[in-house]
Amino acid sequence: MIRPILASLALLAFAMTAMAQDGPMQDVLQEHAEIIVKSSRTSIAPAIAAIAESRLPQAQDVLQAWQAKEMWQRTADGLFFRGEEIGNKTIRLHDFDSGAAAGEFTGSELEQIKPNSGIRALIAIALVQFQLSDPDPGKRADALVSIERDPKSAALEPLRASIEDEPDAALRAKKLRLERLLTIAFDEDEEARIAAIEEMSTDLGVDVRATLNPLVVSEIQVFEGKIPATRNLARALTPGSEALPEAEAYGLLVETGLAPARIGADAVRDILSSNIEGGTVGGVPVAQLNSDAARDRAYAELVEAGKAAPKLSEEEVGALLAAHQFAEIYREPSTAVTDAAQKALARIETMVGLNRAIDLSLDALSLASIYFLAAIGLAITFGVMGVINMAHGEFIMMGAYTGYVVQQIIPNHTASILVAIPLAFAVTFAAGVAMERLVIRWLYNRPLETLLATFGISIALQQLAKNIFGTQARPLTAPDWLNGAWVVNDIVSISFIRIAIFVLALIFLGVFLFIMRRTRLGLETRAVTQNRRMAASMGINPNRVNMLTFGLGSGIAGIAGVAIGLFAKVTSELGSDYIVQSFMTVVVGGVGNIFGTLAGAGMIGFLQKGIEWLNPSNTLAAQTYMIVFIILFIQVRPRGIVALRGRAAGD
Amino acid sequence: MNFLKIALSGTVAAAALSTPAMAADCPVKVGVLHSLSGTMAISETTLKDTMLMLIDEQNAKGGLLGCQLEAVVVDPASDWPLFAEKARELLTVHEVDVIFGNWTSVSRKSVLPVIEELNGLLFYPVQYEGEESSKNVFYTGAAPNQQAIPATDYFLEELGVEKFALLGTDYVYPRTTNNILEAYLQQKGVSANDIFVNYTPFGHSDWSKIVADVVALGADGKKVGVISTINGDANIGFYKELAAAGISADDIPVVAFSVGEEELSGLDTSNLVGHLAAWNYFQSAESDANEAFVAKWKEVMGEERVTNDPMEAHYIGFNMWVNAATAAETTDVDAVRTAMYGQEFPNLTGGTAVMLSNHHLAKPVLIGEIQDDGQFDIISQTEEVAGDAWTDYLPESAVLTSDWKDLGCGMYNTATETCVQTLSNY
Repeated sequence: MIRPILASLALLAFAMTAMAQDGPMQDVLQEHAEIIVKSSRTSIAPAIAAIAESRLPQAQDVLQAWQAKEMWQRTADGLFFRGEEIGNKTIRLHDFDSGAAAGEFTGSELEQIKPNSGIRALIAIALVQFQLSDPDPGKRADALVSIERDPKSAALEPLRASIEDEPDAALRAKKLRLERLLTIAFDEDEEARIAAIEEMSTDLGVDVRATLNPLVVSEIQVFEGKIPATRNLARALTPGSEALPEAEAYGLLVETGLAPARIGADAVRDILSSNIEGGTVGGVPVAQLNSDAARDRAYAELVEAGKAAPKLSEEEVGALLAAHQFAEIYREPSTAVTDAAQKALARIETMVGLNRAIDLSLDALSLASIYFLAAIGLAITFGVMGVINMAHGEFIMMGAYTGYVVQQIIPNHTASILVAIPLAFAVTFAAGVAMERLVIRWLYNRPLETLLATFGISIALQQLAKNIFGTQARPLTAPDWLNGAWVVNDIVSISFIRIAIFVLALIFLGVFLFIMRRTRLGLETRAVTQNRRMAASMGINPNRVNMLTFGLGSGIAGIAGVAIGLFAKVTSELGSDYIVQSFMTVVVGGVGNIFGTLAGAGMIGFLQKGIEWLNPSNTLAAQTYMIVFIILFIQVRPRGIVALRGRAAGD
Repeated sequence: MNFLKIALSGTVAAAALSTPAMAADCPVKVGVLHSLSGTMAISETTLKDTMLMLIDEQNAKGGLLGCQLEAVVVDPASDWPLFAEKARELLTVHEVDVIFGNWTSVSRKSVLPVIEELNGLLFYPVQYEGEESSKNVFYTGAAPNQQAIPATDYFLEELGVEKFALLGTDYVYPRTTNNILEAYLQQKGVSANDIFVNYTPFGHSDWSKIVADVVALGADGKKVGVISTINGDANIGFYKELAAAGISADDIPVVAFSVGEEELSGLDTSNLVGHLAAWNYFQSAESDANEAFVAKWKEVMGEERVTNDPMEAHYIGFNMWVNAATAAETTDVDAVRTAMYGQEFPNLTGGTAVMLSNHHLAKPVLIGEIQDDGQFDIISQTEEVAGDAWTDYLPESAVLTSDWKDLGCGMYNTATETCVQTLSNY
């Protein structure tokens, strides 16, 4: 009876030990189980190192699974496995050592190990040695990215070794570049470092500056006697100069233990109060200690009695300072390297400044094109027809929401945008025509009433949008080919979507000019706006022309809405964000002239970016300054940049 | 009717005084002061629905003190002064026993004088900037030390960030929070040159320049991280621009304090994967209570709805209030307030929330990575952190403390050992 129980117990024990030692990798993991489960970047290093240096073939798999959050711990016995989710909360486990499936478990029987991105970066570094020559180019690229993010001297040799056999040209170029950077930072050979610095001194990459800048970091040090020639001296400092005030210099002496701390007024007071004996301190009654002179007298008594350290006079401090040498010393020991780095940085800095200016101009150009696109519809309705349409912004919003709705129906992003643009035009064209027929045509030549009526419509349309779509922003996703940016270098870059908006703005400029100058509608519009009665007597139907022109302006606003929704967001307040800028653009540019609108958009865009550059910490203030400037500008040129002359100027 | 009430109360005044303050009149009224229209509607409507769900659940369990609970819902319409009017209406016309409400700090500030004058009771469920402790408000959302400070620690210790960009929308919460963070980072040895601060207007969309500035911070070889107090829709343009610039969460991580499940729902989160958010609750928290709560919410509101941090705050606040009223055997404000101190209730993330005598909760801090399904993957969860009304990192408020239980003061100066003031008119 006992025997079978014993036997089964023995079997169980055997099974347990077998489980505990069912593979060398599991042993490594178990040894560091505690810190793996704790999952903190500050303590995880030994576990990663142990796996990476275990020389086991499965090390790479384990690290990759860990990094991808695919490592699970079985709660029952604490063993680690690679887990694969197979449907609703069920995880299939695989043994790290044998690769064999180890059964399926529910989420409650397991604990997922979730490394944070700090730990994932450390794992990525450990993976570099395996991945640099991995047959999968994706893995090799990963390895390079991890070296880039955290350059370490250990990566230099494996990286150099892997360049030779790199088949992929792009990766090879990247490896060569990284090798140069690591050489600058970590190579032992001074010549090689200087050569690499010179080679990279025309490169604008942030990583180059990030490599060079630490080389020229210096700290102020103090020396007794002469500064040893072995130190890499940035410059000698004299105490009392601007770079090193006397107090700071003396503080440094105290810090390095070369001088006693000075006793200030507060310290004197503390020492005096701790030496009160029977109402007097050093023979001076406490009641008299109300002036510096009295306190100094009492303190001098204490010093004489040996109860306090003597106070240093100014002369003594001066002598101490004069007895020591102060200098800024580079952390980097090699003078040749710091000189080369200084030279390279100076060269790069000039180029960075230039490129910043180019980048800022691109940003400004992009902003100008966005304002132009938002304002071009208004240039028609307000500029040409003279209707103050406060609901113009809401037409932009309508266009954006049309884009959103289309995207809900057509999931392909490219196709949906292609459908959304004409549809947005159709919807807002119809809305514009309806508004013109129902409201505006009754109010021609009554600008105040038009303003109030359209403002009311604008609020109503906003609330309508809130009721239909809610107040939370809706996504309008750009097609994949518009994602990313056109990158010239690490400083000058502009996103494709902004380029697309710029192109769209140019197209609309062309369309506008074509319609106004080459089509019958354009001719009739110009005729009606210049002299309505005369145009009517020539057989033009002014009502129809007004309706179509207003519809056209609104329709263009709708298309602008799709574009703006793509780069920002779709909300019910989208329109009101742009209405002020749109009117500003048209008014500043000069009412009634499309080139004026263009100039206005350009001026506002460049001005805003320029002010933002001067005041980088508060974008809101930048916008305020800009509006103040615009108000002043309008005082000087009330008709805008491009003012109409002669009969076309109307009133 | 009113006349009758007055007459009645006049005649039985003496009797009423002597009888114990048992649940005087049924039903027990619960005021819900959340905007149902205007800009804040989408966030606050969710909280109104949460309250109605919680009240229904409680009624199904038999109500409170033998009475059924009745919700009184008013709509302050995202109009800050109207919040004060509606609070007054709730307390004087509807005579509610407790109010659950508010979202923005400015609306809370507007309600404070009313609620203190009429001795009402407000449960405020949203993370906020601190520097406040009213006798009549229980703050069930996070104070800065329960969200901003732990997230900053996480940046410093776990991600090794050495240079900080503090980006925020230009209003009271981001500015106060960033002031605290700036002071905190400098105490942690981050030089002032390594902190970049920028404020943008609500709904800002032109982010290219700011993103370029943030990228340029990395030129001296230090790791850059962004702490975002950007609110609302402006976030979308910001994350889009980051993605367009090819910056992943591994290069420049962004931790946001105002982006939760609700804000991510219906958004394309593929640009945001890996970026972080710090809250006291995520829908993805694994506990039985949370599973039940999420299931109930989806059953009531629809399968596509998500839960978020302020909802959990209301869940804890409401249940604590029920327990406190049960313990005090009355819904009288002062009695309930006294019974609230030390109230414990299991929170949805697996631990226990405790109400402290400074009217703040002790709650764990969670940090989650955004996933492509709009949910958060919780990668860090602390022990319960006690909410601190007055931050320790600004010199003028470091000496202040709040203790309504023993000191009876929400703004007590520990240096001079005096109560600065008991009203919240700061």
